[in-house]
Amino acid sequence: MPPKKVTPAVSQSTSAISGALQDLVQSYKDNTPKRVKLIDAFLLFIVLSGVAQFAYCVLVTTFPFNAFLAGFGSTIGQFVLTAAFRAQVNPATRSQFTIISPERAFADFCFGSIVLHFFVYNFLG
Amino acid sequence: MQPSLFSWLGIALTMLVAPTWAKSSSGDKVLVVTDAKLEMTDYSQFWDGLRSRGYDLTFRKTSEDAPATSVFDVPSFSHIIVLAPSAKTYPKDLSPQSLVHLLSDSKQPTNILFVLQPSTPSSPLRDLGREFGISFPPPATPLIDYFNAVSPSNATSLLLSPPLSPHTAGFEGGKILYSGVSHLRSSNPLLVDFLNAPATSYAADPSEPADAIMEAAASGGEGLWAGGRMGLVTGFEVLLGGGRAMWVGSLELFKDAAASVDGEATANNAYALALAAWTFQETSVLRIDAVEHRRISETSPREQYRIKDDVIYRIHVSKFDATIGEWVPTSEIDDMQLEFTMLDPHIRTALKPSSAEGWYEAEFKAPDRHGVFKFIVDWRRKGYTPLHSSTTVSVVPFRHNEYPRFLSSAWPYYLGALSTSAAFVLFCSLWLLGGDEEAKKKKTQ
Repeated sequence: MPPKKVTPAVSQSTSAISGALQDLVQSYKDNTPKRVKLIDAFLLFIVLSGVAQFAYCVLVTTFPFNAFLAGFGSTIGQFVLTAAFRAQVNPATRSQFTIISPERAFADFCFGSIVLHFFVYNFLG
Repeated sequence: MQPSLFSWLGIALTMLVAPTWAKSSSGDKVLVVTDAKLEMTDYSQFWDGLRSRGYDLTFRKTSEDAPATSVFDVPSFSHIIVLAPSAKTYPKDLSPQSLVHLLSDSKQPTNILFVLQPSTPSSPLRDLGREFGISFPPPATPLIDYFNAVSPSNATSLLLSPPLSPHTAGFEGGKILYSGVSHLRSSNPLLVDFLNAPATSYAADPSEPADAIMEAAASGGEGLWAGGRMGLVTGFEVLLGGGRAMWVGSLELFKDAAASVDGEATANNAYALALAAWTFQETSVLRIDAVEHRRISETSPREQYRIKDDVIYRIHVSKFDATIGEWVPTSEIDDMQLEFTMLDPHIRTALKPSSAEGWYEAEFKAPDRHGVFKFIVDWRRKGYTPLHSSTTVSVVPFRHNEYPRFLSSAWPYYLGALSTSAAFVLFCSLWLLGGDEEAKKKKTQ
């Protein structure tokens, strides 16, 4: 699998920004494995959820502050765990984690997430 | 005309019946301390009035030592009448200190009626007056008033109209003959004004009545015991225990001879008995019978309440009815207040009479502050028995499981946490499924 180089031919002209973005997206579509895309979709959902909760907290109410901390903390914790998992299974960075097999990484990810959700639900109500 | 006839009949009946049935709330035994110079038969109407109310009179001269006012520090009498204005010395058990000690007993106080006369020398009574916040003009200076005098030649015998008051219940108006001394009241809040001197009166030597005014004029009004602020009859009520004392400035007030002036009847006997009735705790005597507190939603009291609880406090007050000699519930107090206090009153609210006779109640929300609180009722009104009640309760904060849960405003956070979990499960299943597919793909490739 080729290394993930997403900016091979970006021209330096100002009109090329949209072209560069298109290139970026296209390169991502072409070069990213399907499983990493799945991880990225999950990460995107978590980010949107966290942003929505933070906006609600800032704009509407912080009142059950423990609920905010639990909800917002679950998104952050899940994001961190998932990002670590992504680094371990992404073929582009896989070389740095040679002693951890992908299966082991997935098991670690699941265990960490379950512990995280255990704390989140304890803190939520 | 019919109703007025009935009302007159009613008044006559109560006047006939009331004295015979009257009783004191604190006891019937009266010690009358008299002077050797006084003839007790001169006061027979007053004694008869007291006896007909059920009092048991014991006479004792100041020169005698028995019967003692207290035996082994237990009071022997419920009431003492000190009718000895000219005695220079008193026995030990009637010394000012002993009398104050008897009066201020918090459990079984002895009520004392002091009677003075203008010639009262620098006697123990004068010193005792200072203990009560009452001071007297110089000796042998009776009250003089040319505007209210019986006759211009006898300006020390005055005809006065005491005000009608709930504390002198048996007295129904009329003139009284007063011949005696005035006194100056301090600002002591325990003093109760019964009768003030007329505004045109002053204290002076009756043989030289103008001298006092001349001297006062020369010194810019200083030293003249004059005017309507001077007292003639003053009550005193001990805060703790409710013992009562009365200072009456005129011996003449109690005399049989004062029953009529120039053939016209006076109200002296009725007024003297009314003063004695207040002093001997017949009238204006109140007590607290019961105190209740609870949550509004419950029926039994709690030792501790939670912050923001809705609490109801009830107190039952009785008044002594001397006509039947019993305590009857009263709802006539309209200015009683309840304080919910931790160092400072956090809540002060009105105790309103409830529909049940004698009960006063207040509902309030416990303050948002935890600690040891007291329900305090401290009702002090001149002439009435002071009412004091203090009940200690704790106010605790919410327990950890008493807070409201699953608030509607927290739903975004609940949804966020649930959706994260659901997305995690979905991701895991997709991951496992997708793993198989890729493995197959790899194998096929």
